[in-house]
Amino acid sequence: MIEPVLRADGGRITAALAARFRDLDLAEEALAEACARALSAWADAPPANPAGWLYRVATRVALDSLRRSAVRHATALPEPEPEPTVEELMSAAPLIPDERLRLIFVCCHPAIHPDARAALTLRLVCGLSAQEIARAFLIAEPALLQRLTRAKRKIADAGVPFEVPGPDHWSERLDAVLSTLEVAYAHAHADGAGTGRHAGYAEEMLGITAALAAMLPSEPEVQALAATVRFAEARRPARVDADGMMVPLAEQDPMLWDTSLITEGRRYLARILTHPLPARGVQALIHAEWCARESLADAPPWPAILTLYDALLACRDDPVTRLNRAVALAEVRGPAIAFEEVDALSHAGLADYLPYHALRADLLARLGLADTARRAYDAALALAPAGAERRWLERGRSECLD
Amino acid sequence: MHYMILIYEDESVYGDKNDTPEMQAIVAKHWDLVSDLGDQYKTGAGLAMTSSATTVRTVNGKQTIHDGPFAETREQLGGYYVIEADNLDDAIAVARRVPVRFDGSIEIRPLLHPPGK
Repeated sequence: MIEPVLRADGGRITAALAARFRDLDLAEEALAEACARALSAWADAPPANPAGWLYRVATRVALDSLRRSAVRHATALPEPEPEPTVEELMSAAPLIPDERLRLIFVCCHPAIHPDARAALTLRLVCGLSAQEIARAFLIAEPALLQRLTRAKRKIADAGVPFEVPGPDHWSERLDAVLSTLEVAYAHAHADGAGTGRHAGYAEEMLGITAALAAMLPSEPEVQALAATVRFAEARRPARVDADGMMVPLAEQDPMLWDTSLITEGRRYLARILTHPLPARGVQALIHAEWCARESLADAPPWPAILTLYDALLACRDDPVTRLNRAVALAEVRGPAIAFEEVDALSHAGLADYLPYHALRADLLARLGLADTARRAYDAALALAPAGAERRWLERGRSECLD
Repeated sequence: MHYMILIYEDESVYGDKNDTPEMQAIVAKHWDLVSDLGDQYKTGAGLAMTSSATTVRTVNGKQTIHDGPFAETREQLGGYYVIEADNLDDAIAVARRVPVRFDGSIEIRPLLHPPGK
């Protein structure tokens, strides 16, 4: 009963409480206490507006707590909240102010360690449990809790403001938000099979990117990210075959893709096609190009993909973009030319980046260099990929014939 | 809130004395900033070169006196400001304006209490 309400509205409630009391811990504790009270209060008759009930009760809990600590420390008392009537508690719909944008900017502040930003956003804005986040990030729960605690303490002690930043540093700050959401989504996306519990939070990523896109309608990068998340999520049903092995994009059956998510993605993309496209816009176009494929009988759109990667490289020249471009390059101009590109990235800091070794292995195998290819597959497998990807790499390795 | 703004630079870019033309030029820029900051500026100072530093170390309750700064680093603490700011973003905005000659790092630390209390 409470769980779905928290999933849908927990972020909004936490954000409203945090913005009002300027205290993340207080906001979290008050909501947890409201949930505990809901267990018994809702047993007979759940309220008409459960989220509003939780928000109202949590506000009172927070005020009580502030009052107690004010008495203890002999400081000024907070303004008391008028006691709600029973009718109000059961039926009224107190408007929960939408402060999620401010909360997102707090969680993704550049003064917060990058490792902590995504976890904090998922915890506070998306309402995921620490256990779910720890699983998705492949770290132990105590380590994650410590990371969250440290980040919250930094926010409180350093005086990180609960404000949407002004125009001076807007692009830098927005970029930190978008990068954080990309990291968060990458963790949800990494489990191709979608069987792991954290794959479930892909749903929350659809929600938060939609909310952000609605709050910042004139930011092309925000619309682009909302589109990209939808295109990528649309392909989830086709990403793993019946044997639990990863299916590369070009071999996925487009008939299995989720057409309603693709339509939604196109709608976000359409809003920004009139502007000069930022890097994230080009990335969304690459996804859109793939998602336009209707069946396996159509040729994969490699030439168009390569052209788009050339455009992406012009606005974002980094090793990962070059690596992704090399995948298309191999299909359009052959593995030898692609391998030259990949080889040039050998000192680009990709040693722990699985796709680098996987692509290298694939290209070497196609060039008939079975021995070196096997070593590259071993390097990829040594990075402990998840089940579906590991099976795919193992098959690739076993097909390397001398 | 009050914040201390600590300025770290390679002190050798100012020569080997405290009153070189390079030092005088940066000091003039600091004074410009101080006057721009107005009431936001609480106090601050430049520090003499680390060659003048002396460190009192306590280990297991025993104190020893050493020549030099507490740690040898590529960039040294060369000066500080104490400012009053609404929040971290406000303090960051001030820190961005603190002049450095070439490379440098400006650290922002909240004060636990207002200064002098």
